[in-house]
Amino acid sequence: MKQRILIFALAAIVLVAATAIPSSPQKKIAWDGSRITPVHQIPLKDELNQVIVPAESYPLPFSSRYTCEPCHDYRVIRQGLHFNETTSTSTGRSGEPWVWVDEKTGTTLPLSYRNSKGIWNPKDLGLTPWDFTLLFGRHMTGGGIAEPDDKDMTPESRWNVAGKLEINCLGCHNASQVQSHSEWAKQVLRENFRWAATAASGLGEVGGMSSRLKGTWDVFDGPNPDDSEWAVAPSVLYNKNLFDSKHRLMFDIAYKPEDSRCLACHSAALAEMKKFNFDEDVHSAAGLKCVSCHRNDITHAMVRGYEGEGKDNAALPSEDFTCAGCHLGGKSTKDQAILPGRLGAPCPLHKGIPKVHFDRLSCTACHSGPMPAKEAARVRTSRANRLGIYGVAQWATGFPSILEPVYIRDKNKKLTPHRLFWPSFWAEIKGEKISPLKPEFISAAAGEILTPEKAVTRVLTALFNMPELEGTPALVMGGKIYELNVDGGLDASPYPALSKEKALFWAAKKDSQITALIPVFNPDLPEAAAEAETHIQKVLEALKNTEAAPGQPVCVYKNVLYRIVESYMDKSEFKGEPASPPQLFWLKDGKTLPFIPDFERKTIEELTGAEQTLTEAQVELVLKALEKKRQETKSNETGPFVYISGGKLFRLSDKQTLEVKNNEAAGPVAWPFAHQVRPAKQALGTNGCTDCHRAGSSFFFGRVTGSGPLKTNRVLVRSASSFMGLTRPYHFLFGLSFTVRPVLKWILFIAVVVVGMMLLLVLLIVLGKLTGLIEKRR
Amino acid sequence: MVFIIITVLSVLGLVFWLTNVRFAAKPPAPGKKPDYFSWLWAGIRGLFKKETLKKGRKALDTWINSYYPGWTKWIFWALAASFVYQAASGFLFAVFSPRGMFGIPLLLHVSVGGLFAVSLAMTLILRARAYRPDQEEEAATQSFARPPLKNISKSLLRKILFWLFAAAGLCLIATALGSMVPVFSFETQQSMIDVHRYSALIALLTASIFLDTAFLPQSQAK
Repeated sequence: MKQRILIFALAAIVLVAATAIPSSPQKKIAWDGSRITPVHQIPLKDELNQVIVPAESYPLPFSSRYTCEPCHDYRVIRQGLHFNETTSTSTGRSGEPWVWVDEKTGTTLPLSYRNSKGIWNPKDLGLTPWDFTLLFGRHMTGGGIAEPDDKDMTPESRWNVAGKLEINCLGCHNASQVQSHSEWAKQVLRENFRWAATAASGLGEVGGMSSRLKGTWDVFDGPNPDDSEWAVAPSVLYNKNLFDSKHRLMFDIAYKPEDSRCLACHSAALAEMKKFNFDEDVHSAAGLKCVSCHRNDITHAMVRGYEGEGKDNAALPSEDFTCAGCHLGGKSTKDQAILPGRLGAPCPLHKGIPKVHFDRLSCTACHSGPMPAKEAARVRTSRANRLGIYGVAQWATGFPSILEPVYIRDKNKKLTPHRLFWPSFWAEIKGEKISPLKPEFISAAAGEILTPEKAVTRVLTALFNMPELEGTPALVMGGKIYELNVDGGLDASPYPALSKEKALFWAAKKDSQITALIPVFNPDLPEAAAEAETHIQKVLEALKNTEAAPGQPVCVYKNVLYRIVESYMDKSEFKGEPASPPQLFWLKDGKTLPFIPDFERKTIEELTGAEQTLTEAQVELVLKALEKKRQETKSNETGPFVYISGGKLFRLSDKQTLEVKNNEAAGPVAWPFAHQVRPAKQALGTNGCTDCHRAGSSFFFGRVTGSGPLKTNRVLVRSASSFMGLTRPYHFLFGLSFTVRPVLKWILFIAVVVVGMMLLLVLLIVLGKLTGLIEKRR
Repeated sequence: MVFIIITVLSVLGLVFWLTNVRFAAKPPAPGKKPDYFSWLWAGIRGLFKKETLKKGRKALDTWINSYYPGWTKWIFWALAASFVYQAASGFLFAVFSPRGMFGIPLLLHVSVGGLFAVSLAMTLILRARAYRPDQEEEAATQSFARPPLKNISKSLLRKILFWLFAAAGLCLIATALGSMVPVFSFETQQSMIDVHRYSALIALLTASIFLDTAFLPQSQAK
């Protein structure tokens, strides 16, 4: 009897499991030929494949997978270009890497799961899918690495709390203006992965932060009744007005995504350019969409449109959508005719341009990106510089410093415009191999070397809590006023009233008026002295609360040392050099220490107003700290340590000083680009051959200067021709020849006229002879 | 590829034809069976003999002094030198380099092209009179000994060669100029490259036959 019950129970479980298995790919709907997009009035489903009832308490966020799956095969879509970074075997043309930017440690490290020269695989750095998603999920489409299989979830990750970052179908296909990329990025930062798509689409309002929840929390635990302020569990409040009585929601779906959806992750613009001055791509101006050329079917294998893509991915009609495919036509690798003029593309004649240019230059070399200049132009891209995310916090970063156009030969040996940047990172050398180190490892080893501003911010924070202070605390140093900013860092503004040589002083700033924190007073006047001493006492009491203070705060004025002993002001003779105006010191073991140590002071002054975040002195100290750590751990496997920036490798010499070397790992990382496309009238060469072929032309003789977070003059400078693999002297000579080219043309023209006329004459004579009009002579 | 095949075949054919004409005109040594290849090998070896070079130099000097007196010899030298460089650089790269011509040779090819154009125009001005087509021809006895030119007099042949060379030169200069001006479309330019190459081949072949008829000692026609 027991056996029968067991069998029945097992059969029931199997039956229930079978019905719960997600739908098979057989449901895929083929196009019936109609050019309309079906109205997407469908129920939302959660990650358990259950219809969402928005009026229910604590509904789950919608799942793209289960909401779209009934009609669109999610498993097929997952193989698409945007989601297959770890599964694709086709490398294709190299693309823009993800860049791990950590300004504090001076790290701008290119990462990608797709193999490419100079780009590091996240696995090699010990980055798990969880780490990678946290770092870059802000500009990821979901799916792929952000939606790992259970077997790929590492123990230290928090997928069970945050949920998986499913493919965000609406991220591209939502035609509603409510779709917010910023919201997506914020939810990812809060580790609200499973809620991100709901919040970004505007279908509901998401509150709470997974990042503040314990690792044991589960989405089925629901909200935390004991904490409604800090560790608030994420929840969705759906906009009920969007649903009908059958709990169906009307999706405003764009079969062809709007450009703005692509540009959320694929924007690029010159760093110094004003928005109003930005010209859109000539194709966009002509009315084409990004997806007019970059097409895909349900597989989401996108046409990238580069020459030779047909060989990399034979399944795509890629060659139809290259520049030449639309504008010139030709033949595909499958020997099929491609007609020019697709979507009204004009067919260029390229008058006067020798054939060699078409053999050795890609179309984009002349038609894309900014015109080459003496120095490659700096550009910011969405993914590298974290653009397009708006809110209270500043998301965009200056680094990496990406430069364009740099002309490098592609797989077809054609010069193609590339973007590049010089990676910067800390690393250790193991044998011949350089292995990058994680920023957190460096921060831990470097201690306060990389945070010199803390010496100032701690004091300013302590003074901020002094109620008697009229205004906000500030430090005047080296001709600048330093104040606390909202992020706890330092903001600097000029203070022209004081020359750079003058000593620093602490001040209070009120309505742009600067007054000394401890003003000068006359100690011989009892009334004034008493008032001043009371003020000094209050300042010293406030400074007692300075975080990680190296000693007791004291004030020295003339030869008197003021300090607080057991809550009372104590005055004693100061045996050091008398100070005037009053100065603050730290007193430790009977010795006075400067309030801002020399190293911190110099570093702050050097980096103030500069884009860079590191000085050579800091690099030297960090390398020494790393070396010390290595010796302490007695590890023979690690080190020596190096820092890479601006195309150079920095390391400690035998004399423990900073030395610089060239190294292949310090070389630039480059990837080709194709937009913005300029019209023919603005193409390179529109002014004639001398756009490129002249001595000193920017095309051949422009420079690419190494740059990075390290403030140094020791950077690598390379010429444009070195990237092309061309000889500079030859192109200088060839360029020079174009100065006499007009004369040569005239010479050839006269020769053609003379020779031509004589031949015509001979022809006439022969004709005359044949017709008898001219008699033979002896 | 077609051009390479045509070039190689036509140059080899011309060499065979010209040498065979001479071989056929040469009286056979008594008691020996005529052997073309032995004769050719001996001829090639003979080219590098001091005596041959001396004789050749003398013949050339005589020829130049006859036709290009005084300063005008420099025009001939300019034409000859520029044509030799253009032909050598052009055909070497066209036949052996898949990339085509590039680098310093290309730079020189373009520059020397100017010299070739000027010297060709001046040569025509100087020498056109000697090759005027309305002149009475010599007797047919001074003709080639082998078909297809068996009945053409050497004088007429030289005239044809001279004007054919001039016509090929015109095409070479015109196509070079055409590539430098922003007038012709990409397809036209591609065609001009082909015209340039085939004109160069015609110029090379005509110059070779002309050289043969002009300088080398001629045997009596059979």
